[in-house]
Amino acid sequence: MFNCKDSIESLLPFLEGEMSPEDEEHLRAHLNGCPPCVEFVRTYRATSGLCRKALVKSMPPEVAGRLRSFLRGKIDESK
Amino acid sequence: MTDTTVDDDRLLLTRAQGGDISAFEALVARHEEKVYGLALRMTRSEADAAEITQDTFLSAYQHLGEFRGEAAFGSWVHRIAANNALMRLRRQRVLDVVTEDLAGPEFTDRGSLAESPETDWSRRADDKMLDEELGRAIQEATDALPEGYREVFLLKDVEGLSYEEISEMVGISVPAVKSRLHRARLALREAIDAFYKEV
Repeated sequence: MFNCKDSIESLLPFLEGEMSPEDEEHLRAHLNGCPPCVEFVRTYRATSGLCRKALVKSMPPEVAGRLRSFLRGKIDESK
Repeated sequence: MTDTTVDDDRLLLTRAQGGDISAFEALVARHEEKVYGLALRMTRSEADAAEITQDTFLSAYQHLGEFRGEAAFGSWVHRIAANNALMRLRRQRVLDVVTEDLAGPEFTDRGSLAESPETDWSRRADDKMLDEELGRAIQEATDALPEGYREVFLLKDVEGLSYEEISEMVGISVPAVKSRLHRARLALREAIDAFYKEV
């Protein structure tokens, strides 16, 4: 029988479908009786998506302009 | 990336490989934002990110003839950019791997969660707009990750590289990549949870 610690430690293989059938059964049995762990799983799953949104970066137009000039220069040099 | 984008890239790539510079420039325009974003997230320096973007597309141009198209052009330049960013970080010797300060859930002696999450904020991930303060909290928490964990998290969960690609680039085994990723996710989950407890 898994406790909370075992369950949280095995979240990555669980979410990627890489757990052994026995361990998955133990984990599911724990989740069935542990609402805090169910919430933990939900928030663990949501973490990557929130981080992706928070870490979006845009390229300033002047950087894009410099990139084009740089590449044109290098391509011309190589001809 | 949609199938149409990949098909359009293939057409542009074929033209670029035949010497059509405007086709190569069109490929650059389609992927520069993603490459720059990766470089800026990895290095946290606008100057480094601009240089990495330049080096990445120059390298792509110089090796156009070798690109056989087994992978999508976007994935190819993404990998070049990730390698360039990692090389730059290595040169700056910031690839420390320290685990002591990595946050995570706390457990009782019997292995039960010491604290229950106060709110289920998982649905916020579906919101189109991200709260500005939450965005800052996530940025700070990501910056605070030990470098070896931060890079694995960014490469996998933000840039979408495979475990095998990351393992090869970073020089650690796939199980070690997964372990770092899990620790990083736990630390970031804690930071987001703490944010929602405060608001």
